Amino acid sequence: MTALTLDRLTKRFGATTVVDDLSLAVPAGSFLVLLGPSGCGKSTTLRMLAGLEDVTAGRIRVGDRVVVDPAVGVDVPAERRGLGMVFQSYALWPHMTVRQNVGWPLAVAGWSRDARRDRVAEVLADLEIAALADRSPAQLSGGQQQRVAIARTIAPRPDVVLFDEPLSNLDARLRTETRALLGRVHRETGATTVYVTHDQVEALALATHIAVLRDGRLEQLGPPEELLERPATAFVAGFLGSPPAVLVGGRTVGGRLVRDAVDLAPVPSGADAAHAMYRPQDLVIDPGGQLAFEVLESTPAGGAHLVTGLLGGADDARGGDRVTVIADRREAPGRTTRLRVPAAPAALYGTDGALL
Amino acid sequence: MARRPVSWLAAAVVAVLVVLVLLPLAGLAGATVGPDADGAWADVVASPLSGALLWQPLGGSLLVGLGTGLLATLVGAYLAWVVVMTDAPGRRAVGALAAIPFALPSFAIALAWETVFRNDRIGGEPGLLAALGVAVPDWLAWGPVSVVLTLVAHYYSLSFVVVAAALTNVGGDVVAAARLTGASRWQVATRVVLPSVGPALLSGFLLAFAEGVSNFAVPALLGLPVRFQTLSTRLYGAISTGDAARGYVLSLVLVAVAGLVLLAGQRMTRGRSYSTITGKATRAQRLRLGPARWPLAALAWGIVVATAVVPGVVLAVSTVLRRTGSLDGGLTWHYWVGASDPSVAQGTRGVLRDPVVLDALGGTIALGLAVAVGAVVLATLASLALRALPRARALHATVSTLGYVPFLVPGVALGAAFIAQFGTGSGPLPSLYGTFAILVLAGIAASLPFALQTARAAFGQVSTELDEAAVLTGAGGARRFGRITLPLVSRGLANGGVLVFVTMVRDLSVVVLLVTPATPLLSMLTFRYASEGFTQHANAITLVIAAVAVVATLLARRLERRPDLETTR
Repeated sequence: MTALTLDRLTKRFGATTVVDDLSLAVPAGSFLVLLGPSGCGKSTTLRMLAGLEDVTAGRIRVGDRVVVDPAVGVDVPAERRGLGMVFQSYALWPHMTVRQNVGWPLAVAGWSRDARRDRVAEVLADLEIAALADRSPAQLSGGQQQRVAIARTIAPRPDVVLFDEPLSNLDARLRTETRALLGRVHRETGATTVYVTHDQVEALALATHIAVLRDGRLEQLGPPEELLERPATAFVAGFLGSPPAVLVGGRTVGGRLVRDAVDLAPVPSGADAAHAMYRPQDLVIDPGGQLAFEVLESTPAGGAHLVTGLLGGADDARGGDRVTVIADRREAPGRTTRLRVPAAPAALYGTDGALL
Repeated sequence: MARRPVSWLAAAVVAVLVVLVLLPLAGLAGATVGPDADGAWADVVASPLSGALLWQPLGGSLLVGLGTGLLATLVGAYLAWVVVMTDAPGRRAVGALAAIPFALPSFAIALAWETVFRNDRIGGEPGLLAALGVAVPDWLAWGPVSVVLTLVAHYYSLSFVVVAAALTNVGGDVVAAARLTGASRWQVATRVVLPSVGPALLSGFLLAFAEGVSNFAVPALLGLPVRFQTLSTRLYGAISTGDAARGYVLSLVLVAVAGLVLLAGQRMTRGRSYSTITGKATRAQRLRLGPARWPLAALAWGIVVATAVVPGVVLAVSTVLRRTGSLDGGLTWHYWVGASDPSVAQGTRGVLRDPVVLDALGGTIALGLAVAVGAVVLATLASLALRALPRARALHATVSTLGYVPFLVPGVALGAAFIAQFGTGSGPLPSLYGTFAILVLAGIAASLPFALQTARAAFGQVSTELDEAAVLTGAGGARRFGRITLPLVSRGLANGGVLVFVTMVRDLSVVVLLVTPATPLLSMLTFRYASEGFTQHANAITLVIAAVAVVATLLARRLERRPDLETTR
């Protein structure tokens, strides 16, 4: 079976470290999403997995097989790793028809002519693009090209499929549609999937496991629910969820987390807390609240309103944290009001960002 | 990844580039010093001879370069303005015609000039005007005026293309925004439009200047009869009369002058091309010329017709006139298909019946093909190596520099360098003088900058992801190259190859020092016939060259039509 294991994986370009000591493991058949802001090293990690990028240090195992480990001189070339990949640009070969694009990898893999024909027909039908078989890529829309790229990748039945931001070139409606298609493809093929994106909605919709990366380091790895319910770091808490958790910054004074004279929570002895985390639905806009709040925008969503604003201290809202809370009515942008926080935060994070 | 074979490929490419570019230039420099050179530098730079050897030709070169640069820029910019910015009638056709003169060999326009303006200064038959009884003064028939005007007719195309592109890039919004501030037309033109095409004007000027300084064919045909020398003709004269060392010194001087101008120009224009940042470019509102419309259009029309249409017609008509410039002698196909007749042109046969011409035709086509294939293959291998080793900085710098240097070396000087290095056997290298091989090598060296640029552009258009997608299918390097990369770059490479072929077929300056009777070429025959006063023969062969070039271009167009790459949406 093809579980994936990255062991202390590191990538440096000259003096810059792009991927820093990254270790993670997922079982066979997982849908792993590498999630993070741009520049966090997620695409580089994917390309190292594929064998398209050299590894500076560390080890990658695909199933039982070590595919790269510079320490012992192992570096299986990309063409012998047996992985499939869907590129952000789709990378369809422009001089081949759809049928040829899907069929050529099978020819390379040594399939017989008949087996090739049947498999191409099967995959094209499965992705509902059989009618386009004899078109050239230039004659296809973006969404159709995307389907051809997926068909080409899954046709040889790879055990591991890699996706590099596959939906970022599609419009919003197609993105939702193709997302569902990708989920179906994963269920049907059962292939272990690694998927790179900066869009947390895609991650939450598709993943069995999410790895949140930041500056080349792993922040947290786990199933989506776990990341949402028990974010391991302040970064994960503020990155995941729509809206994400509310982080209120403060300082630890005498065993309590304090923000501008407002006492937020007790801090365990010996710890140094920097943020209190609350669920967006637990904060209430209330002129009698503890913290000043300057409303920036108010967006209706699912029967409620997402109110984003600047959070201040006891007296002044300006220059504070930007947070979004769920309110039951619209708030006028530009208005300054106050926010009431519950007696106990959902979690506390230390000055290093880690959960206390 | 297989690093080893790629490293070998890179090493081989660098080695070939060194042999083709560095070695000849080193040989050229080396031949000017030492005991064999016999004090050539002193003779050329500081001796009673240096006036005639160096300073006068240098002055001639600079005069021709400046005149060509200034006039060609003026003419090109004027035509670009008419075509892009105004509502002059027929501006599209003007734009199409303005690109033609550059495609003609420069000696074609010079021959046409001679056919019209030739006077009785040298032997042979008089030109059109003289035959009509007009006394053509020497200053118009020969010398700097005729050389400059002929070169301008050839090179204004360059300025036209770059300035027209720059003017098109001045977005309509930019002009409209300036006009909405209340600025006058004049202010908009001088403060907004002109500065944004400044770099284009400058680079057009410098290109024409460098070409004017180093051109060989035109001053040789129109300047030598009145002893008007440029560096190119002077060094040709020195080397072809056995005064090689001095000729090599002059070659180095010419390389320095032309190379410095081009380098300086590049430095000045670097980072000064403005790209419009707006997403949608709107076309500038065309300038309404009003009553000036017709005269301005007529001037533009006059220029392009005189340079793109008239030379061809003059050449064609002259070849069927028994006596140049005069219908009195009657019409004849003699110069094309006639048998030897002692009463006409000293018994020279019609070009299509002359075995020497047919030999030269074969040689020219063979040379064009060999150089095109050689240059494109070399450039392809170089691009492959560069692409496979994206982080090998030294390799990139070496290939780019060596591939660019021939652009700075005028053709005659490059030919001289090849004679200096390969003319006599040295070390393991046999003497290549008088062989077809030396022509091919020099041709490849001369075509390298263009071929390399084309190949890198062709490869650059194939995104690396297309190859990576093929890597992941498990296909090996050779299979990927054959099935993915090659089909995608082949069109660009073929186009580049055709252009190299066409350039080589009509080249005179690179080959003029290298050709011997054993390796006849059409351009060389034209040059010889023209020097000997056999106008009709020279013109007829020029037309043959033009026909070969046109046929090659048309064939390439036809090959280009590939249904599978066409978009129907």
